Amino acid sequence: MSTILKENESFYKRHALKLSPEYTQGSFTWITTLALTVVFLLSSIDFSEKAVKPSVFGVFTAYALFTLIQMIITLKIKQDLKKLGFIRQSTRMLGYIQLLSIFTGNIFVTAFAFQLIKKKKTPEYVFAVYMLLIQFFVIAVSALNLFKPYVSDTFLPAMFVFLIIALFQLAVLFLIAKEKKGAKVAGWKPFIGIPLLLTALTGNLFALVLGWNMLMEKRNRNNPSTGKWYKVWEKIASNTTSMLGLFFIIFVFAISVCSYLTFDYGMAIENNYSAILQAPSLVYPLGTDNFGRDLFSRIVFGARISLIVGLLSTAIPFIIGGILGAISGYYGQRTDNIIMRVLDILYAIPGILLAIVIIAAFGSNTMTLVIALSVGSIPTYARTMRANVLMVSNYEYVDSARALGASNLSIIFKQVVPNSLAPMIVKATLTIGGAVIATSSLSYLGLGVEPHIPEWGNILKIGSTYLESHSYLAIYPGLAIIALVLSFNFLGDGLRDALDPKLD
Amino acid sequence: MEAANAAEVRGAHKEANFSDMISRTYAKMQLHPSYKWVLFILGLPVQLIVFLIYLNKKKRDAYSSLVEKSRKELLESGFKEELTLEYRNQLQCKQAFFDQKVDEAETIQLAEKWAEEQLQKTVIEKTETILENYGQKRITFESTFQALLLNPLFLLLTFIPGLPMYIFILLYSNPYLKYIFERLIMSIFVIIGVAFFVFTILYISPFNPAANILGETATKEQIAAFNHLYGLDQPYLTQLWNALKGIFTFDLGSSFSGNEEVAASIARKFPITLILTLIALIMAIVIAIPIGIISATKPNSFLDYTFMFIALIGLSIPNFWQGLIFILNFSIKLQWLPATFNPENWLSIIMPAVVLGTGLTASIARMTRSATLEVINEDYIITAKAKGLNQRQVLWKHAVGNAMIPVITVIGLMFGGMLGGAAVTEKVFNISGIGSYIVDKQFIPDIPSIMGGVVYVAITISLVNLFIDILYAFFDPRIRSKMKQS
Repeated sequence: MSTILKENESFYKRHALKLSPEYTQGSFTWITTLALTVVFLLSSIDFSEKAVKPSVFGVFTAYALFTLIQMIITLKIKQDLKKLGFIRQSTRMLGYIQLLSIFTGNIFVTAFAFQLIKKKKTPEYVFAVYMLLIQFFVIAVSALNLFKPYVSDTFLPAMFVFLIIALFQLAVLFLIAKEKKGAKVAGWKPFIGIPLLLTALTGNLFALVLGWNMLMEKRNRNNPSTGKWYKVWEKIASNTTSMLGLFFIIFVFAISVCSYLTFDYGMAIENNYSAILQAPSLVYPLGTDNFGRDLFSRIVFGARISLIVGLLSTAIPFIIGGILGAISGYYGQRTDNIIMRVLDILYAIPGILLAIVIIAAFGSNTMTLVIALSVGSIPTYARTMRANVLMVSNYEYVDSARALGASNLSIIFKQVVPNSLAPMIVKATLTIGGAVIATSSLSYLGLGVEPHIPEWGNILKIGSTYLESHSYLAIYPGLAIIALVLSFNFLGDGLRDALDPKLD
Repeated sequence: MEAANAAEVRGAHKEANFSDMISRTYAKMQLHPSYKWVLFILGLPVQLIVFLIYLNKKKRDAYSSLVEKSRKELLESGFKEELTLEYRNQLQCKQAFFDQKVDEAETIQLAEKWAEEQLQKTVIEKTETILENYGQKRITFESTFQALLLNPLFLLLTFIPGLPMYIFILLYSNPYLKYIFERLIMSIFVIIGVAFFVFTILYISPFNPAANILGETATKEQIAAFNHLYGLDQPYLTQLWNALKGIFTFDLGSSFSGNEEVAASIARKFPITLILTLIALIMAIVIAIPIGIISATKPNSFLDYTFMFIALIGLSIPNFWQGLIFILNFSIKLQWLPATFNPENWLSIIMPAVVLGTGLTASIARMTRSATLEVINEDYIITAKAKGLNQRQVLWKHAVGNAMIPVITVIGLMFGGMLGGAAVTEKVFNISGIGSYIVDKQFIPDIPSIMGGVVYVAITISLVNLFIDILYAFFDPRIRSKMKQS
C-alpha cells in the first residue's frame, strides 16, 4: 500500500507541470495579457503624428506591470512544481497582488488570481468568484455614465443597490472560501440561497445557479441522479476558457438587464448635432456617430437585440427540429423517410439565402429575421436529434419502459429525449454564435433588424461608411460581435468536453 | 471444332446467366412495394402478356382444389375443436394469474378467432407439402414472371416493349449503379422541392411587386397590365408549373425591373461567385489540413493551443467585419491591394477570397484535428506501430487517409454555406456575383430573379454533394460493403 502511495507521489511530482491547472492557466493568462498589452501599446502611439496618447499609454503601463508580475508568477509556479511537485504558499500569496488588476478591467489576470489563491477549488468557489466579477464589471461599466452630462433618473438608486448586492456577494464568496468540505451541509446555506437567488434579478445568472445549488444541496447530497450533473458542473468550472466564455455571455446578459436602469436610451437613439463624429473620450468612451449618438450606449443596447435574436433563433429550431428528429428517429421507416426527405429540401438551401428569400417575402423586421434564421437551421437539429434517438431507442431502459406498458409518446419524451439531449445542447451552444453573426450580417445588408434600432450590424453599417475617417465606428461593434461569438464557441467547446457526447 | 463448341457453350451459359440475373433481381425487387409499382408501370406491356399467361396457367392449377380438400380433412378430424379448447384454457389461466375478470363469451370468441387463424395456417402449410411431394409449386403472378424471365426467348421477344423495365432491373442489379441512380433521383426530388418551396414563399408574400416598381401613382389598369405581362394574374398552379419548367429549360423569362433575361444575367454573374468560392476553398484546404494534422500529432502542446485558438477566432469573425478591417488596413492605410473587385486586376480577388475562406479554414482545421485524433487512437494504428513502422509512415499511410473521410463530407457541406455566404462578402467588396444579385433583387421582390438565383445555387450545391457521395461509394470500403449488403 505504502509503495503504491509513494509511486503515486513520484508520479504526481514528475507530471506536476502537466497536471497542475494553475500552471496551464498561468501560461494562458500571461500570453493573453501580453497580447492585450501590445494592442494598448500600438493604439497609444499615433503613428502619423509621432505622438503618444497619455491616457491609453497609462493603461498600457498598468497592463505591462501586471503582465510582468504574471510572468514572474508563472515562472515561480514552474519552479515550485519542478522542485517540490506542489505550489508553495508563498507563491500563492502573490495572487493577492494580481487581484488588484481588477481595477484595470483585466478579467484574465483577475480570474487567474482567484484560482491561485485557493488551493482546493470547489465549483461553488469558482462560480462565486465569477458572480462577484460580473457584479463588479456591471457596476464599473455603468459607472462610465457618470461622465455624461446627464444620467437616467434611476441611475443613482440602481447603482446603490448594485453596490449592496456586490458587498453581499463578496460576503458569500468569503463564506464559501472558508467552508470546510464535510459530510454535513453547512446550516447557513439555505438562508443565504434565497437572497442570492434574488440578486440574480440583475441578470447575474451565476448567482442564480449558485443560489439554487445552495438551496438544493441538502436534498441532492447522496442523490445518485444528480451526480452526473455535478460532474459536468465540476468539469466546466475547471475549464478556464469555457468559464471566461460563460463570464462574457452572462456579463452581456447582465448589462442588458441593468441597462434598463443605468443607461439612458436617448443617448443611443436621439440625434445630438452638437457632438457629431467625436473621437473617444471620457464622456463618449467609444466616440459618437454621424448623428452624435453615443457609440458606447448604442453597443450596450445592441447587446440586447443580438442576445435575444441569437437565443430565439436557436431555441425555435431546437424545439421544432428536436421534436421532428425524435419522432422520425423513434418511429423510423416511412415516418422517418418522409420527414427527413422534406427536411433535405430545406437543407439544400444555404442558410443565408433561405433567410434572404423569407425576408424578401415578408419584409425585414426582427420577427421575420428570427423566423428566417430559425427555419434554416431546423434540419441540422433534426439530424442531430434523429441520430441520437436512433441510438438511445435501442437501449434496455426503453425496452423496459415499453414492457411496463408506457405509451410511445411517453417513452419518447420521458426516456428517449432526455437521454439524447447532450449533443443537442452542445450543438445549440456552438450555433448561437453563428446566429449572432447571421443576424448582424443580414442587418449589415439592410435585411435584418429595422435600421433605427441600435443593433450591432446596424451600427457597423453606419460605421462602414466612415471607414476612412472614423474607423473606430466600425471596429468597436465588430469587436463586440467577435467577443460574444467567441464566448459562445468557448462555452460550446467546454460543454462538449464536459458532456462528451458522440457527435457525428 | 471443340473450341467453337466451347465458345458456344460459354455463350449460352452467359445468356442463361444474364436471364438468371434479371430473374433474380426481379425477385429481389418484388420485396419492396415501391419498386414493385415502378416495375409495373415501366413494363406495362410485358406485364399484360405475362398476366395472360398466368391466367392460362392458373386454370390448370390444382392449388385451390387442394386447399379445399385439406381443409375439409382437418375439420373432419376435429382439429379445430381441439385448438379452441386449448386456447380457451390458455386464456383462462392467464386471466386467473392476473386476477382479471373477463366475460366468458368474449373469451370463447377470442379463442375461436385464434383457432380459425391457426387452422388457416395449417391448411396452407399442408397443401404446400402435398404440392412439394408432387414436385409442383403454387403458381403466382410473380413466380410465372420469374420463370418466363429465365427463358431467353421470352427475353428477346419482350425486349423492345419492356426496355424501360429491363433497364431499371439492370440498374438495380449493380449496387453502384443502383446507389448512383437513387442519389440522382433524390437530387432531382430535392431540386424540385427547393423550387417549389422558394416559389411558394414568394407567392404568398404580402408585397406587390407591381406597385413597388410602377410607383405609388400607378393606376389599377397599369398594375393589371404589369401583372398580365409577367403572368402574375394566372392561378398558382400554372405559375408554379411555368416556374419549374423555366428552371429546367433555363428560360425564366425576364426580370420585373430592368427587363433583362433572368437566366442570362444569372449565367453572367454565376462564374465570378464560383471562382471566388473555389479560390477560397482551395486556400482553406491548403492551409487548414496541414494545420489540423500538426495539431493532432502534438495534442495539447503550445502549437496546438495556438492554432486552435486562432481557428476559433477565425470561426467567430463576421465576414463583413473582416472585409472592412482588411479594406481599412490593406487598401486604405497600406495601399497594397485594391478595395473593390475588378475583373481585370487579379490582385483584387485576394482579399475577398481570404475573407470568404476564413470561416471554412477554421472549420476544416478543427475538423481535421479531431478526426485525426480519433483515428490515431484506433487499434489498427497500434498494430501499425507494433509492426515497426515509423511515426511518419503510420501517420501518412494509415491515419490521414481515414481521417480525411469525415473532413471531405464537411468540406462538401461547407461549400454550400460558402456559396450562400458569398452574398455578404460580395456586397462588401462590390463584386457583382450571384449573391449580391439576389440581395439587390429582394427589395422588389423580383420573383423570377430571386427564385432563379437561389434554385441554381441549390442545384450547384446538390450536384457537388452528389459528386462527393458517389466518390465515397468508390473509395470508402465501409460504404462499399454496406451498399452491397443492402
